[in-house]
Amino acid sequence: MPPKRRTSGITPKAQQSTLAFHGTSNKVTKSGARAQNAKKNLTDHSITKKSKPDVFDVDTVDEAEPTTAEAAIIEQTKQAVVAQKTISTPEENEARAVSDARIEKYWRKKEKEGRKTPRVHQQDLSLQEKILREFDMCGQFGPCTGIARLKRWKRAHRLELNPPIEVLAVLLKEQEGKDKISVQRSHVDELLNARNMELDIGA
Amino acid sequence: MDAPDGNLLTGEPFIEPTYVPSRLPSVYNPLHTFELPKGTERHYQQQFADMYFLRLAQLRDAVIRRAEEAWADFKLGDERAQMVDRVLDVRQGQLCWVVGTVYMEMGLKPNVLDDIAKEHWIAAPPARETYMSGTAKDEMMLEDESGRLRVTGESLNQHYVTGCVLAALGTEQADGTFQVIATQHADLPRQPQRYERDDSSLAVAQKPRLKREKAGKLAIVSGLGITGRDDQEIWLDLLSEYLTGEATGNPDQTNAAQISRLIIAGDSMLQSGPILSREEFLAKKSGKKHYGYDAGDYNALPTDRFDTFLTDLLPAIPITLLPGAADPANVALPQQPLHPALFPHSRAYANPPAESTETIEGLDSVTNPWEGDIDGWRVLATGGQTIDDLLKYVDKVNVMDVMESMLRWRSVAPTAPDTLWCYPFQDDDPLLVKDCPHIYIAGNQKRFQKRVIKGPVDQQVLLLAVPKFREKKVIVVVDMESMDVEIVKFRMRRPAKVAKAS
Repeated sequence: MPPKRRTSGITPKAQQSTLAFHGTSNKVTKSGARAQNAKKNLTDHSITKKSKPDVFDVDTVDEAEPTTAEAAIIEQTKQAVVAQKTISTPEENEARAVSDARIEKYWRKKEKEGRKTPRVHQQDLSLQEKILREFDMCGQFGPCTGIARLKRWKRAHRLELNPPIEVLAVLLKEQEGKDKISVQRSHVDELLNARNMELDIGA
Repeated sequence: MDAPDGNLLTGEPFIEPTYVPSRLPSVYNPLHTFELPKGTERHYQQQFADMYFLRLAQLRDAVIRRAEEAWADFKLGDERAQMVDRVLDVRQGQLCWVVGTVYMEMGLKPNVLDDIAKEHWIAAPPARETYMSGTAKDEMMLEDESGRLRVTGESLNQHYVTGCVLAALGTEQADGTFQVIATQHADLPRQPQRYERDDSSLAVAQKPRLKREKAGKLAIVSGLGITGRDDQEIWLDLLSEYLTGEATGNPDQTNAAQISRLIIAGDSMLQSGPILSREEFLAKKSGKKHYGYDAGDYNALPTDRFDTFLTDLLPAIPITLLPGAADPANVALPQQPLHPALFPHSRAYANPPAESTETIEGLDSVTNPWEGDIDGWRVLATGGQTIDDLLKYVDKVNVMDVMESMLRWRSVAPTAPDTLWCYPFQDDDPLLVKDCPHIYIAGNQKRFQKRVIKGPVDQQVLLLAVPKFREKKVIVVVDMESMDVEIVKFRMRRPAKVAKAS
């Protein structure tokens, strides 16, 4: 016999995290378009929150649940935080000893060397964010999407590509701040995997 | 004893008492290079660009060193060859060499647009035998983080596939392509000594070195193709009788007793997965509709019969079992070990996965590809998918040449992830050959072949192509002391005709 169908009550939320192919989180059409399915409440799965330790709170933009891309970065950051608590590797020790003046000197050298004009559209970024974005754009350390910045630095260090120690210093300092997740995720990653992106298709 | 009609019931009785030889032990130390993390720790959100980056970053130094040795004093006319850092930095008219990953643009490679077409039309395009279209659409490019460079040249009569890391010497033409004069690859990596891992772990534990016994032989079989129906019962029975030493008589039994381990290299079961192929699904769709799970979908015969086959062998001989393309394991490389839940009887001889990831004496279900130490020698075994995919890129190339090239490029699966499905590695690419193996086995090939290749620093590798047992009825036996290879063929012979009594 076919399995018994539920006639009343809402379907229970799945225990596993699911991909949302519908619902508000993956909307591509403009909000003025008519909703396709009327049975929204029955089919509205939501991605369950990954359990997070008490150490930090996640400040994502509007929705409470992270997408799969973000979830992976969160997982990597958690692992990095746990690893830092247990042992501190020699490069991390060296990075913690880097002073602010040295970081500024590093940035000034980067601005002058090889560039004919200063960087534009970076007025409202902090020095740390500028340094991290420059690290993201360096192709020799691999792609910057889909990986947390700290993990990318460590991977580059392990492959002996000599990533600058000042970048690790900035990352470790930013980690002690409030916004741990967004600093680990590169800006390009956020743009590529953004939710609620309003596509302006035009008339 | 030899009766003219082959009848053993007539003739002289056997004089010698029954001789029960004992099997030599096999020193086994597997590696877990290709095992993926389980469950939620396995992430798929990363892109494959990480894999290509890792491959290039790890092989670049080795390739640069070899290229510098080879081309240090190369002069074309008056010009010396210079190394250029990025692939896009080559200049017209300047003789230079550059390191990058090869990308082959082929006309008939599987295209995502074909997948979309499948959804709209009824029939899928047939599976491709080869990706080469033979037209100008087949191009070769050299790629690194900065970009891609189209490559031409007569030396490209050598065969290259997507994913091998090379240094190319040449100059840029007027139309932007790079004319190649010579290429250089990383060649074989360092080969460990025999028993190196075992001895070093003993040294770390500060125990004295063991005196090693004489090693036995290694039997390799692949492509058993068990369907559970009766058409091949006799071959499986002959094989299990031979391996357990029950077959024939004294000299064969002594030979069989020297076999200390069996490797089953893939494709042991046919049509055993519950996931239907496209043709089967279309045939079913026109049939009755079933709601929920249809118990008729899963055919348990192949796994049952394979389980019985393993149980016949297992107390007598330790087995290393690799999954193949047709086995119920995951499709993407590296295929994870076949779960012991598939083998309810033979799993008594295997350590449960919750306790340990390896079984030294008994049934060891391992990944495909697999690396490990058998009797001290480093063995790299694959189920053959990597080689079959590579053969689709090239035309009329010997399997031994392919296997040799794969080792010299230091890549177990160069065409992954381009045309061979693969897990997106982000931290470390285990599909790179870091230690040169002593024996490289590829299962499920068309026929048996062997070759010994030599490396630049006295490395020696035995390459073995093992044929499918279902078709050829052949197993390969390697003597682990002398590295001699022999094959054991199973044949049926009709007895001579009985003379008519007149």
